[in-house]
Amino acid sequence: MPSEHEAGCELPYDRSVSPYDEMVTGQGRMRPHWKQFLSSLGPIYPDQMIERWEGARRLLRQNGVTYNIYGDPQGIERPWPLDLIPLLITGDEWRQIETGVMQRAQLLNALLADLYGPQTLIRSGRLPASLIYADPSFRRPCHGVSVPGGQYLHFYSVDLARGDDGRWWVLGDRTNTPSGAGYALENRSVVSQVLSETYRYCQVERLNPFFVAFRESLSALAPGVDTPRVVLLTPGPYTETYFEHAYLARQLGITLVEGEDLAVRDRRVFLKTLSGLEPVNVILRRLDDDFCDPLELRADSSLGVAGLLQAVRAGTVVVANALGSGLMESMSCKSFLPTLCRHVLGEELRLPTLASWWCGQEAELAFVLDRLDHLVIKGANRDVVLDPIFGPKLAAAEKDTLRRRLRQRPWDYVGQEQITLSTAPVWQGRGLQAHHVVLRVFAAAVGSGYAVMPGGLTRVAPEPGRLVVSMHSGGGSKDTWVLPSERHHQIVSFRATGARGDPRPVEPKTGEAKPMVGDLPSRVADGLFWLGRYAERCDGAVRLLRGTSTRLIEGDVPGASDELAALLRLLVWNGMIPAELGSADASTREILPALRAAIFDPDHPTSLRANVQRVYRAAHSVRDRLSRDMWRVIIQIDRESRPHQSAPEGVAVLEPLDELVTSLSALFGLEQESMTRGPGWRFLTTGRRLERASRMVSMMRGLRVTEVLWSEDNRQAATLEVMLELAESFMTYRSRYFAAVQRGPVLQLLLVEPDNPRSLSFQLALLRDRLAELADGAKLGTPTHNPMANALRIVETGLTALGQPDLVRNPMLLRTTLDTLAATLPEVSNLLAHAFFSHAFARSA
Amino acid sequence: MPSPDRPDRPAPPSPPAPPPSPPALPPSGAAVRYRARHRTRYDYGEDVPVSHHLVHLATRSHPRQRCRRSLLTVTPTPAVRWDFSDYFGNPVSYVAVQEPHGWLEVASEIEVEVRPPPPFAAAGTPPWGELRLLAPALAGADEATAIGQFVFDSTLIRTTADLADYARPSFVRDRPIAEALIDLNRRINTDFAFDPTATTVATPLAEVLAKRRGVCQDFAHLAIGCLRALGLPARYVSGYLRTLPPPGRPRLVGADVSHAWLSAWCGGDHWLDLCPTNGRLVDADFITIAWGRDFDDVSPVRGVIFGGANQKLLVQVDVEVIDE
Repeated sequence: MPSEHEAGCELPYDRSVSPYDEMVTGQGRMRPHWKQFLSSLGPIYPDQMIERWEGARRLLRQNGVTYNIYGDPQGIERPWPLDLIPLLITGDEWRQIETGVMQRAQLLNALLADLYGPQTLIRSGRLPASLIYADPSFRRPCHGVSVPGGQYLHFYSVDLARGDDGRWWVLGDRTNTPSGAGYALENRSVVSQVLSETYRYCQVERLNPFFVAFRESLSALAPGVDTPRVVLLTPGPYTETYFEHAYLARQLGITLVEGEDLAVRDRRVFLKTLSGLEPVNVILRRLDDDFCDPLELRADSSLGVAGLLQAVRAGTVVVANALGSGLMESMSCKSFLPTLCRHVLGEELRLPTLASWWCGQEAELAFVLDRLDHLVIKGANRDVVLDPIFGPKLAAAEKDTLRRRLRQRPWDYVGQEQITLSTAPVWQGRGLQAHHVVLRVFAAAVGSGYAVMPGGLTRVAPEPGRLVVSMHSGGGSKDTWVLPSERHHQIVSFRATGARGDPRPVEPKTGEAKPMVGDLPSRVADGLFWLGRYAERCDGAVRLLRGTSTRLIEGDVPGASDELAALLRLLVWNGMIPAELGSADASTREILPALRAAIFDPDHPTSLRANVQRVYRAAHSVRDRLSRDMWRVIIQIDRESRPHQSAPEGVAVLEPLDELVTSLSALFGLEQESMTRGPGWRFLTTGRRLERASRMVSMMRGLRVTEVLWSEDNRQAATLEVMLELAESFMTYRSRYFAAVQRGPVLQLLLVEPDNPRSLSFQLALLRDRLAELADGAKLGTPTHNPMANALRIVETGLTALGQPDLVRNPMLLRTTLDTLAATLPEVSNLLAHAFFSHAFARSA
Repeated sequence: MPSPDRPDRPAPPSPPAPPPSPPALPPSGAAVRYRARHRTRYDYGEDVPVSHHLVHLATRSHPRQRCRRSLLTVTPTPAVRWDFSDYFGNPVSYVAVQEPHGWLEVASEIEVEVRPPPPFAAAGTPPWGELRLLAPALAGADEATAIGQFVFDSTLIRTTADLADYARPSFVRDRPIAEALIDLNRRINTDFAFDPTATTVATPLAEVLAKRRGVCQDFAHLAIGCLRALGLPARYVSGYLRTLPPPGRPRLVGADVSHAWLSAWCGGDHWLDLCPTNGRLVDADFITIAWGRDFDDVSPVRGVIFGGANQKLLVQVDVEVIDE
């Protein structure tokens, strides 16, 4: 096909890979709605596109949009691949898709209701009984469980592909835990920012109302409950689409929980919160149904909730999608849909479905065996592990083997017609390429029907000609723009649209939606506590490492060697470098590699990098609780703590440390400025203050202040300098004392001074306040055994000790005080865990 | 006619109901009355805050068996007990203890009447090849639920070519199904050693086949796997054996624990129950508790606890004949 040089598109575009291209017709003409899009985009210059593309990548990275792939060498998370050019769909075409998806959702729901209920379709012979019995996704324990309103499918997605005939065909249905809607929303957020002018000009349909409606219908699922508690059940941070779970929970304003956050008592589901067990009314699940209840479904599942099915049977909780709904994903049932649609809904199936033949039936098996050359062979259900086998590509011997397999276990296989996917333009390098695309469309049960999200997740094959389109195989994604129905819209209102694209937390329309209860699961409280501790630990490490590196690299500044000796001693004390490097005679050449390891080595247990990874993991597990900005800073911290391979030795160490001091301070600032003073913040702050207090005590003991500061050699001055630097109190000292650095004032400033935000007493005072608030919020313990009261007592005792008049003058007294604090402060952490977290971490045996 | 071990109409799709009233016993054969006591005790090693259990211990009735009394006692007293019926029509109880407890005891006491199957001529049953692959094609919902579903793989039984190969010598061409079944049952009994140390609940079938040892559950699974590999439906049956044999007969293997055997479809309404562990046909010495596709469907006590350390389990079964 010749190159395309029409208006707006100055780039060559080879659309010959597929009979149907989304942008250009078979005659090589630009389709009208694409013309409009491209003209508003202005002339496409490669440099400008690359710049925009970079902008999009930056936004995705900053927003932390990721996709996990098991066993991926890139580590747990992979950046979300997004192509900037949206898939455009005209309003008229969209209406057809929309009604088709609504109908299909309705049909699949009706089939689930029958198969898990009266099974009349099987009795009447419209479906073979073996269809469900040969299929492990038919969950026997879920049969006969009454589901409110017969509603099985609350959220549904369908993969569509455009065939040669220009119609959208169904490739597959997602009825268990449909994923991708959150990614679609995030794609929209990025593309509408990067192509803001075009986005406004094209009057793209908004996605937000769909999520508002879904949120409202979720809260309406709990009849008779004024403030229903709705939770999103995730398998946890290691699942592929965890980003999306956290993102959706935040967008929908519901609590993100893992199985261990929930408990069943009296055939009701409860959330384990800080204040005890709180009833849960609706569970939006992203956990596959067989993992949801180890008692009645998969016994080896540690991700579910024991007794959940009992609660569902008792009608005390609604699970969306209903347990067992995954059945409709099986390929084996697809060929029955056109007939069943006529029978069940009394109408023709609107969306064309690829012809398929389930081999569990004699005639169909014979047909498939006969027509192997023309068919794709697929697994009949999810338990059949099989990549699609393309019949035409098989050698004769392979075909024989396949025929034997089919005869052996016919019910495991489906033969399906092949489809050619359409192509759409994808920006690659410096130009446009035509890649195959598949469109995932989403529907939510709203009222008595379904609402379809106007847009969707378009997935793109990784290279031209590739027909396998999946995120696993390295494909990309696109935003999907549904354009207004009228082709000629003269009036374009810029004010009518938001400037930052639409994803914003979904606000319920006042007066219509029920409020929902927000909670802090104990696991999340624990995560926030440790986030605070690790972030503060990083802050301490980075200052210590920076102080050491500066002196090591800058060399012979007067007094530097004594300060360096003190710092090295502290590094040894903290276990960050080997003990032999703490002596005065270690050379720079020996120290520098050890220092690099103490900064960058992820396998070094006390290295900065290891602690940043702990920050990252803790943050990841409480991601829905952090603001977008906090998450951006955490991603930045993660990036800055990786070694820069190319930079020269000295710069390579110092520069990232400087950056990290700033980013860690930014994180601290956001905690203080952008978080509500709820229990979550209290746990985070408690973690921080406890860590900072412990660090001060540890520093003083590591520097052996009670000996060194009372000796008369030059180590005294060096140690005082180091103390002020590490405690970030140099400026405060100077502004307050105008004098040379002296023992008494320094100790006073760092230990006792209540107004110095770095002083020990400042930390303990805040710790006391937070602990008191937390103890107040939770009715815990018994008069004889109250962990929070014990924790408070430890902190109070510490504060009293710091108030002793002779403390900074009497080395013996100071030493005992520091030793006592070093022994008792860690106990606060244990007591807190005992009071709030222990019940949440029981494991099933 | 062959053993008429015809199941009740399975409970689904009707909603969970209390166990149906016992059907009248067929006139033939002398019924034996039993009292069976089954005690399961868990020691958790430390207090656990909550435990959830599913209990398959109440006896299902069938044409040769009538349950006269059934009593389930859980200690400590559970906060929740809910009786329902599973997909196979077996009575099940859900019990939850919701206060800290260091041990749990599930005690079941039943009184049941069992009749021996009437004598039958194995040679008169249909050739096995006629039944092969008939089951998956059964169209009627009731037949499929009663028969068809037992031909497919289940959680613990995945058919393999090895299983089919092992079965094949018994399933020679045109052999009547019951003769083939009796032969397979005998071969398993001869080829495999009863050895409680050789396997656990988690031992895969392939390993049992390779090691040639196991317990009643393994042998039942093995025989079922063999049959399904040939396209023949078979059920897993959990139950008890009488503890003391009738005078002059040997004590059966597995008489002081839960026992398991299989029930194989012989066409029409007819099922034949066989016990590979003892190499014999099931008779009035066997009390049926529940049936399903495999052990996972009808495990007598299945539980989830939170916490616990060095859990210990003790199971005692005692089956005595009353006023015989």
